[in-house]
Amino acid sequence: MIFAQTSEPFIRWDWVWSHLGLIWSKVVQHLVLTGIALGVGFAISLVLAMVALRYRKSYAPITWVAGVLYAIPSLALFVMLLPVTGLSITTAEIGLVSYTLLIFIRNIVAGIDGVPTHIREAALGMGYTRRKLLLDIEVPMALPVIIAGIRIATVTTIGLVTITALIGYGGLGQLILDGLNRLFTTPLVVGAVLSMVLALLFDGLLILLERALTPWARRKAAIS
Amino acid sequence: MIRFEHVSKTFPGSSTPAVGDLSFEIPRGEIVVLVGPSGCGKTTTLKMINRLIEPTSGEIWIDGVPSTTQEPHLLRRSIGYVIQQIGLFPHRTIAENIATVPGLLGWDQGRIEERVSELIELVGLDDSVADRYPAELSGGQQQRVGVARALAADPPVLLMDEPFGAVDPIVRARLQEELKILQARLQKTIVFVTHDIDEAIGLGDRVAVFNVGGVLEQYAAPEDLLRAPAGDFVVAFLGSERGLRRLSLIAVDTVVLEPGAIVEASSSGYEARAVAREQGTDWVGVVDNGRMLGWIWIADLDGHDTVADLRPKPFSARLERSNTLRQALDAIVTSKTQVAVVVDGDRYLGMLTAERLNEALLS
Repeated sequence: MIFAQTSEPFIRWDWVWSHLGLIWSKVVQHLVLTGIALGVGFAISLVLAMVALRYRKSYAPITWVAGVLYAIPSLALFVMLLPVTGLSITTAEIGLVSYTLLIFIRNIVAGIDGVPTHIREAALGMGYTRRKLLLDIEVPMALPVIIAGIRIATVTTIGLVTITALIGYGGLGQLILDGLNRLFTTPLVVGAVLSMVLALLFDGLLILLERALTPWARRKAAIS
Repeated sequence: MIRFEHVSKTFPGSSTPAVGDLSFEIPRGEIVVLVGPSGCGKTTTLKMINRLIEPTSGEIWIDGVPSTTQEPHLLRRSIGYVIQQIGLFPHRTIAENIATVPGLLGWDQGRIEERVSELIELVGLDDSVADRYPAELSGGQQQRVGVARALAADPPVLLMDEPFGAVDPIVRARLQEELKILQARLQKTIVFVTHDIDEAIGLGDRVAVFNVGGVLEQYAAPEDLLRAPAGDFVVAFLGSERGLRRLSLIAVDTVVLEPGAIVEASSSGYEARAVAREQGTDWVGVVDNGRMLGWIWIADLDGHDTVADLRPKPFSARLERSNTLRQALDAIVTSKTQVAVVVDGDRYLGMLTAERLNEALLS
């Protein structure tokens, strides 16, 4: 244990109380970084998923590219981007967005593919246009699967944001890095615990959101 | 009216047509049932009407207008569509499901709500289902919602693709009965696809029997189909119980009834024996001023002076005039007296025997 020699207590509450402002600003930065990554990632994924659904043959290559991005170690990705985008927020977000794509694309496509053929046939048979079918029937019915993807991506991204501390961002990751550099456990623990709390909190909020948006799925579960 | 004019359909990658050079007419206000084995093109034929499948050649006319004059999605809003899997939208309530086509047509909210509650009642559902989701309803209830949804915008034409194929036989029989009652009120032009010949005969004003490759083997009223099937395929498809099926199409009141072995309750034992001897029975029916009381064994009259001394046993089955000859046959073969008693309420009308049914079929 690298901290074994220090006589410091595991967590110094006086540091926490005197740095509430700093901690709060890191929480906010953490959420901003996460929000941008999820928003941009979802928007890109939505477009790619629609392309994949429209042109079936493109699904394999799209998921292949997203899979490669997903497989690159995040540290390596940041290093590769440094010569191009430098120590900018763009570098951080490109990395974070990359990791959301595979999750989002797969869940959007799987969710819409999961809509039974006979529902589509009934809708078209009653005079739905393709576009209205997608927006009014397919997307709402795919919501449970899509939101499941959003939950995984959210929890993953909140964890990953801490790594961007290495290029000067990172939100709560900066507290962790600061603690590591100074062999001072308090900010490290505060950063790590708050990051976990955020992940769990947003996961819970998304569960509530899903329940609110898909009351039909819950009632079905209740009677089966 | 729907008219097929030399319509054919060959699916891409197939060398044989699914439907080949089909021409026939579906009269307005009738139920026409398309029936045949799987692969006979009956569903393809149905789906060409609302252009879910586009014909390779030929033209389909709906009320004098070629179906291709309108955009497919606009055409479909004027044609009701019911499928076997029903296809209710699981994320929408029953009321929202029924409101689908009126919504697409842009009706105002008040008119939609009024129409929805009207339809829920029309198909025999309770008001309380309106705010439920499809998964909360039974299969039979869901199919009623399917029919209500198809009728929502009051389309003149209704396409039904094996709509009752997925429900159990008891519910199916009830839904068929309800459809007939509904049709008597609404007079839609209904095109109904099934592979069940009994369903076809029971529901159709006309039945179109298809052979593999979309060949129309015979197009006739059920009674004519059973009486004079055109060719070996139709005979084979109608099955070995053609006579029984015909009986189910003939109502009791179309047949001349026999007076039967009947005496008044006030008759003497002697008179009763004479009637039984004349009719060749060992029993007589007992009526009182035209009211059917039941029947007695002649042998039980021994030691009694009048028929009134005995208590008549009730006939196991009494038929009304609206019953079918098939039900009459059932009564005949399951009763000790080997006759079916036909009544109008309490009033005795006459009897049916196996010989009478035989004559009815051969006439």
